[in-house]
Amino acid sequence: MSGLRSNRRDAHAVSRLVVAARDGDETAWNELVDEFGSLVWSIARAHRLGSSDAADVSQTTWLRLAEHLTRIREPERVGGWLAATARHECLRLLRRSQRELPLGNDLPEPTGPGVPTPAARLLRDERAAAIWDAFARLPDRCQSLLRVLMADNPPSYEEVSESLDTPIGSIGPTRARCLERLRGLAARVGISEADHDSGEEEI
Amino acid sequence: MSHRPHHPFDPDDDLFLEELRALAPEGDPVPERVLAAARGTFTWRTIDAELAELAYDSAVDAERLLAVRSADTIRLLTFETSELTIELEVAAEGDHRRILGQLAPAAVGTIELRHVGGLLQLQTDELGRFTADDVEPGPVSLRWRGDQPGAAVTTEWVTI
Repeated sequence: MSGLRSNRRDAHAVSRLVVAARDGDETAWNELVDEFGSLVWSIARAHRLGSSDAADVSQTTWLRLAEHLTRIREPERVGGWLAATARHECLRLLRRSQRELPLGNDLPEPTGPGVPTPAARLLRDERAAAIWDAFARLPDRCQSLLRVLMADNPPSYEEVSESLDTPIGSIGPTRARCLERLRGLAARVGISEADHDSGEEEI
Repeated sequence: MSHRPHHPFDPDDDLFLEELRALAPEGDPVPERVLAAARGTFTWRTIDAELAELAYDSAVDAERLLAVRSADTIRLLTFETSELTIELEVAAEGDHRRILGQLAPAAVGTIELRHVGGLLQLQTDELGRFTADDVEPGPVSLRWRGDQPGAAVTTEWVTI
């Protein structure tokens, strides 16, 4: 079903980590954080939270898991549980503050202006800049979906579904549409930049 | 539309997404302090307490009109077990929170307010009321231990 490449531990391994953490194994807990920490963060970002709010959502989500360890009924699905918990916490925070920040609002600039960089680095930065510029022009729904899909340890479709309250069946088609739009927008950004900085292009 | 020669975006969705992921750390990695804080939550787990679930949150559950009127000032939270209710009124004052709370049924004793900065011991009065000024924003949870051993209750964590 999933077209995602996944570096994720299998369900059995995840389940073992949850059970071990429940029984007091802090190393297992830390591995769960390694596994899902980026997903939880990406969900907060997908909901357009700034870094301080996103940090609160992450902290609250993990505290809730710590509190629920002895009550989790399907330990192999802890990723979905974390995703749903993080989403609820985001909504709580958003409704409370009624804030809507553009995604990436407080992200650092991809390049430091005026800082000399090696050519390879420059190309990479240019490319990153073109992509993020294009990314910001995508419809909200695309930005949210892609932000979650970009989490380290690519999430399963079930986790994505819990993250954004989206039916599993719509994720694949939406993903394809959003990536296609991003390619188009990013290529356009690249071309318009090439028009005025072409003097440096051949280096 | 033509791509720049050195800007071909991979037509394969998986590979393109892989590139996005690789570029993302330039702009928005999960900060190490956030991961460290997540690891640290393990020490906050309680294994002997009954969990009081968040049953009502005015930020989410209130009717729209009411929410608009009071959203930025007072927030009402209710946590419940089958035998105990803990109600909180959280006021935002600048960058701090003031908490007024009440236990039902009322009981005199000490209730602990757990937050990321540590632990506050709050006394409840004969009506079960307690207060905390100057609480930092962030996740909080309350822990009540009745007069019998083994009767501890902790609330779910909630961000205030």
